[in-house]
Amino acid sequence: MNVTRRGFIKISGATAAGIAVSGMGFDLSPVKAHALTLKTKDAKETTTICCYCGVGCGAIVHTGKDKGRVINIEGDPDHVINRGSLCSKGSALSQLAENKNRLTEPMYRAPNSKEWKKVSWEWALAEITKRVKATREATFTLKNEKGQTVNRTTAIASVGSAALDNEECWIYQALMRSLGLVYIEHQARI
Amino acid sequence: MSKSFFIDTTVCTACRGCQVACKQWKNLPAEITKNRGTIENPADVSFNTYKVVRMREEVIDGKLRWLFFPEQCRHCIEPPCLDTAGDKSAIFKDDATGAVIYTAKTKGLNAKEIIESCPYNIPRKGKNGALAKCDMCLDRVQNGLLPACVKTCPTGAMNFGERDEMLAIANKRLGEVKKISQAARLLDADDVRVIYLVAYNPELYHKFAVASVDNLGITRQTALAKMFRPVKNIASGLV
Amino acid sequence: MTNHWIDLKNSDCILIMGSNAAENHPISFKYVTMAQQSGGKVISVDPRFTRTSSKADIYAPLRSGTDIAFLGGMIKYILENKLYNEDYVVNYTNATFLLNNDYAFKDGLFSGFDPQKKSYNKSTWTFVNDEKGIPKRDLTLKDPRCVINLLKDHYSRYDLALVSKITGTPEANLMEVYKAYAATGEKGKAGTIMYAMGWTQHTVGVQNIRAMSIIQSLLANMGVAGGGVNALRGESNVQGSTDQALLWHILPGYTNIPKASQASLDVFLASIKPESKDPMSVNWKQNYPKYAVSMFKSFFGENATKENEFGYHLLPKPDDGKSYSWLDIFDEMYKGSIKGFFAWGMNPACSSSNAGKVRKGMAKLDWMVNVNLFDNETGSFWKGPGMKPSKIKTEVFMLPAAVSVEKEGSITNSGRWMQWRYEGPKPLGNSKPDGDIIMELGNMLKEAYKKDGGQFPDPILKLKWDYMTNGKYDPHKIAKEINGYFLEDATVNNQAFKKGDLVPSFVFLQGDGKTSSGNWIYSGSYTGKGNMSARKSQKDVASNIGLFPEFAWAWPVNRRIIYNRAAVDMTGKPNDEKRWVVKYTFEQKDGKYVPGKWEGDVPDGPAPPLQNPDGTPRADGKHPFIMQKDGLAAIFGPGLADGPFPEHYEPMECPVEKNFMSGQLVNPTAPVYGTDADTFATCDPRFPYVGTTYRVSEHWQTGLMTRPQAWLLELQPQVFVEMSEELAKLKGIKNGERVKVASVRGAIECTAVVTKRFKPFKIGDSIVHEVGMPYNFGWRWPVSGKEESPNLLTPSTGDPNTRIPETKAFMVNISKIKRG
Repeated sequence: MNVTRRGFIKISGATAAGIAVSGMGFDLSPVKAHALTLKTKDAKETTTICCYCGVGCGAIVHTGKDKGRVINIEGDPDHVINRGSLCSKGSALSQLAENKNRLTEPMYRAPNSKEWKKVSWEWALAEITKRVKATREATFTLKNEKGQTVNRTTAIASVGSAALDNEECWIYQALMRSLGLVYIEHQARI
Repeated sequence: MSKSFFIDTTVCTACRGCQVACKQWKNLPAEITKNRGTIENPADVSFNTYKVVRMREEVIDGKLRWLFFPEQCRHCIEPPCLDTAGDKSAIFKDDATGAVIYTAKTKGLNAKEIIESCPYNIPRKGKNGALAKCDMCLDRVQNGLLPACVKTCPTGAMNFGERDEMLAIANKRLGEVKKISQAARLLDADDVRVIYLVAYNPELYHKFAVASVDNLGITRQTALAKMFRPVKNIASGLV
Repeated sequence: MTNHWIDLKNSDCILIMGSNAAENHPISFKYVTMAQQSGGKVISVDPRFTRTSSKADIYAPLRSGTDIAFLGGMIKYILENKLYNEDYVVNYTNATFLLNNDYAFKDGLFSGFDPQKKSYNKSTWTFVNDEKGIPKRDLTLKDPRCVINLLKDHYSRYDLALVSKITGTPEANLMEVYKAYAATGEKGKAGTIMYAMGWTQHTVGVQNIRAMSIIQSLLANMGVAGGGVNALRGESNVQGSTDQALLWHILPGYTNIPKASQASLDVFLASIKPESKDPMSVNWKQNYPKYAVSMFKSFFGENATKENEFGYHLLPKPDDGKSYSWLDIFDEMYKGSIKGFFAWGMNPACSSSNAGKVRKGMAKLDWMVNVNLFDNETGSFWKGPGMKPSKIKTEVFMLPAAVSVEKEGSITNSGRWMQWRYEGPKPLGNSKPDGDIIMELGNMLKEAYKKDGGQFPDPILKLKWDYMTNGKYDPHKIAKEINGYFLEDATVNNQAFKKGDLVPSFVFLQGDGKTSSGNWIYSGSYTGKGNMSARKSQKDVASNIGLFPEFAWAWPVNRRIIYNRAAVDMTGKPNDEKRWVVKYTFEQKDGKYVPGKWEGDVPDGPAPPLQNPDGTPRADGKHPFIMQKDGLAAIFGPGLADGPFPEHYEPMECPVEKNFMSGQLVNPTAPVYGTDADTFATCDPRFPYVGTTYRVSEHWQTGLMTRPQAWLLELQPQVFVEMSEELAKLKGIKNGERVKVASVRGAIECTAVVTKRFKPFKIGDSIVHEVGMPYNFGWRWPVSGKEESPNLLTPSTGDPNTRIPETKAFMVNISKIKRG
C-alpha cells in the first residue's frame, strides 16, 4: 500500500483530546483543551526540488497567506527519492528564501569606487547592454589568423550556471552564443 | 496508546538534517558557534537548541569508529523533572502521546533543580527564565505528522510511532546489530520514550547516553532511584 | 549516472571512492543503507575517514591522487583470478578486438607521444579491421594482440606491493577491497560505484573514471540494476546545465561545437556522424546531423533556412586545437585580454583553483555582471582582502536573482531525472528569476542592434526570442522548444503530424528543417501528452527495482538505466532474474522465432537480442552499447588525450621524486599555464604535506548559498584543516587552535581539527602526511571576514581531456600562528 502524505494524516487521525499549550516556553496563555494548530494551516502549498546537491529531493513549500512569504519548507513524503527526508541544507531551505542577507535591489559599483550604489533594473540592464555592445564592437573577429570564418569575440566571457533551471540555461546559452561568445563555461568544468 | 521514538544510531550518518529541521519547524534562532576542533556543533543543547548530534571518534577492537548520537529529551515515562516541578501548568505529560511538555510557566520553577533532576541533563534555561527542550513536535503529532526530526531523517535512524511498534522495530534491529557487535544494546528502553540503539558501550557515545548520576547533585540521584522502578521489564522482555 | 539514486538499493556492493556520499549527497544514504541492510557491502576508499567511512563495511585509506594505482591493482586481481564475467566480456565489450600492431606502451608512455607538443599522435591506438571494415575479434581471447591480453600486460605491473607503496594503502586493505568488489562479477550480482569530484579534480581525472569503467565492464556491472558508473552531481542542475551545454566545447545534447576549420554545415555534420560498418551496431550517434539541424531551427526559428545552411554561419567558431575552458578564461583574464565578464550564480573568486590568480584577473576587467542571491566574493572582489578599491577600475553590476522556490521550471538530477518545480512566494523585493533577466537583456541587445546596427548583427537579430508571456519569462514555452515541434505537416515513421505538434521523441526528428528541438536528449519531455517532468505517479515496475517510470521524466526517452540491454544474456533473458531491468520475449510463428517485445525499462533500442532462445544467432540482433560506435563497451578507449588505458601518474605537485610505476612522473599531457601566478612546488621541502579539499555536509560548494544562513553557519562556522594526531604532534599544534596553511600560491588561516580520521601514509620508505580543508568558505560570509577559501592554495593545472582543475592533490605546509 502506498501511504501518501495526506493518507498518513487520515490513517493516524488527528487526536483532538491532547492537553497542550501553544508556543511552548513563550506563551503565557492557560493550558488549552484542544489540539494544537499547525503553523502551516491555511498556507499555500507548492512543491519544489531542492536547489543544493544533485540528488533531486522533493520538498513542500508553505507560503503564508498574509505576507506571501515562506513559513515552512519540509521534505515531500510523496517524492519517490527522498520520501520526505532532507539533509541539513535541505532542511534549511526556508532560510535561503527568507534571509535578510539576500540581495533585493540591483547594485552598481563605479570604477575605483569604495561602495555599492542602489540602481534600478532599467538602468542596470541598459548600462549592461551598452557595455556588452561596446566590448563586442571593439573586439569582434570575423576571421581568425588562418582566414577561417569565426564570427566571435574572445573579450567577453560568461560563467554560469548549474543553479539555473533547464529552460533558463537554454535561452542563456543561445543568447551568449548569438553574441559570439566562445568563453562559455560553468560548474561542470570545476 | 502512547508514542515513542526509536533512534538507531547504527545507521545515523550525522547529516544533521534533524538538528536543522527542529529549528526550522520551531523557528528557533541559530547560535553563534566556533569550530572547537570538532565538527560537532553547537557544543550542547540549549534553550534554542533541542537537538545535538554528538560525534565521537573511538578506536574499538583496533578499528576506528565514528560514533553519532542524536541527543534529545527522552520523554521519560515517569519524568523526574515533572515530579520535581510539581506544577502541572509548568511541566506536564500529554496523555495521548506521553510527551513531556514544558510551558512558559517553567519560568516560575527552580531551573537548577529541574535541570539537575534530569538523568540525561537536557532542560535548559533561557534568558527569560523559562526552561525549554524537545516537545515531541506535539503540534505535528496531534495533526498526524511525524516530528520534524523524524520526518527529515534519510536513513531510518530516527523513527516515531506507537510505543509497541517502536519497541518491536528496536528489538528487531538490536538482534541484527548484535550479530555484528556483541556490545549492542537498547538504552533505558523501559523508562523512556526515546529508545536508542547503540552498537558499543554507550558511554563512548556521550556522557549522558544512559541515565547518569555522575558529577551531579543529589536531586538527580533521587530522581534516578525513582525512575528505575522495580517493575517488569517491558522492553527487555521482548529481546 | 548511468543508473539513478533509488537504484543504489539494488546493489550487492557499493564502492564509494572519489566521493563522500554520506556528507555531500546525504539522501543517497537512504538507499545505501537499504542495500546494506539487504546484505550488500559498502566500501569507502578515501584519504580521510569520513561520515561515509563510518557507515562502511570496509574502509581503505589512500593517498590523494593515486586512485589509478589502486584500481589498476583491482584490474590485475580480476584478470589474474579470472573473476570477470566471460560471456559479458566476450560478447558485450571490445575485449576481443585485435589491436594495431604498432600500438605499444613503454615506461609510462603510449605509442605516438610528441614531447614537443606534449600530446599524442593516436594513429596507432586503433583496431585491426576485416575486409568489410569491421573490427576483427578473437572470441577465444587467445590472440596476444586482443584487447584483454594487452590489458593484462598493462596491469601486470600493478602488483599489490607496488600499489601499496604508491597509494599508502596497506596490502591487507587492498586485498579486502579487491575481493569484496570483484565478487560482483558473479552472474546475478551487481556492484556499483559512487564517485564525484574526488575523481574528476585531478590531472588524471578522466582516466580515474575510465579505470572504473573497465572494472564495471569486466564484472558485467553495466546496464544492470544496482550497477553502472555513477557520478554524483554536486549541484541540483549541474546535470541539466551540462545537457544544455553551458560549456565551450559542446552545443545542447552533447553535439560537438562547430570549429573554425568546418567551413560549411555539411562538413560539420559529417564530423559529428560516426560510421560503423558493422550491421550489428546501432551506432546511434549517426543520427546527430538530424538533431543538429533541428537544434539550429530552435536557435534561429524561421531564420534558419536550407539556403543559409540552417543558420550554421551565425554561430561563433572556436579555433581548432585551442581550449577555451574555465582555466583558460581566467588565464586570459589574468593576462588582460578579457574585458567583460558575466558570473551567473557562480563564485569563481572562491570556486576556482588558484583563486588568487582569478581575483587579480578580475581587477583587469572593464566590467563584470554578477547575478546572485547574495553578495559574494566575486561581485565584491574589489573590496576583498589585499585589494585597494581606489586602484581597481572594474565596473560591477550586481543583479539580485530569485530563489528556486520563487520561480517555475525544471532541473535535472544526477540520475537524469528532469523534475518540474513551482513558484511558491513571489521573488523577494526587487529580485527576479534568472529567466526574466536573460529575456530582458536579450530584448535590449536585440533592440540596440536593430536600432544602431553593429558588427555582424545577424545572430542577435535572427535569434528566436519569443519566450515571454504577458511580458514575463515563460518556462513552458522554452520547455516545449527544447522538446521540439513539427514545423510543417509531416508523416514520420508512419505517423501523421500537423504543423505545430510537439515531437513525441527524438526518433521523429528530421534533418531537413521540418522539425525543431532545442536539445534532442530532452525530446519527449514535453509532448502532446503534457509536461512529463511534472508527473508524480507512485507506481513502480513489476520487478520493484525502484524505476518509478511515471514519476518525473528521465533522458533519454525516459530510460532509467542506460545500457540496460547489457543486463540480459544473448537471448534477452535477464542475468538477474529477481532484479531484472528489461527482458525480451520472442514470438513463434511457423516454428520460427520472430521479433516479440521488450518489457521493463525503456530498452536501448527496440531491436531483438543477438540470439534466439535456442541459441541460434539472429541477423537483426543488435549489440547493447548503442552509443558506442562499435556497439560494445570500450575496455580499450582510444578517444582520450592521455592514453587508451589508464596509467598511474603522480599529481602535478606530489611528495615523491619518482613515480614508482614508471619513468614518467606526471601526466605528460596535463596542461600547464605560464603566468607568474602559475607556480608549482613539487618535492619541495617548504611544502612537505599533501593537501586536499572537500566539502562538508552543512555547506554547499563555495558556501554562497549556505554561509549567509545562520542555521548552517551554526553547524559549520569556520574553515578548518584536518590533520592526523601524528602530524599535530610533530608540529606542536593543538586541537582547535588557528593555524596557517600555505602552498606556493597562497596561504590561509584555518582552525586545526586534530583527528584520528587522518593517518600518515607510508609511501615507499617515507612517511607522508596529508591534510584536508573544506573549500566551502570565503571572506564575505561569515561577516568576520576571516574564513577564507582553500582554493587560494590550489593549482591551475588539470585534466588534459576536460581541463577540470587538480584541486584534490597538491602540496602544502602547515604552521602555528605566532600572535602579538
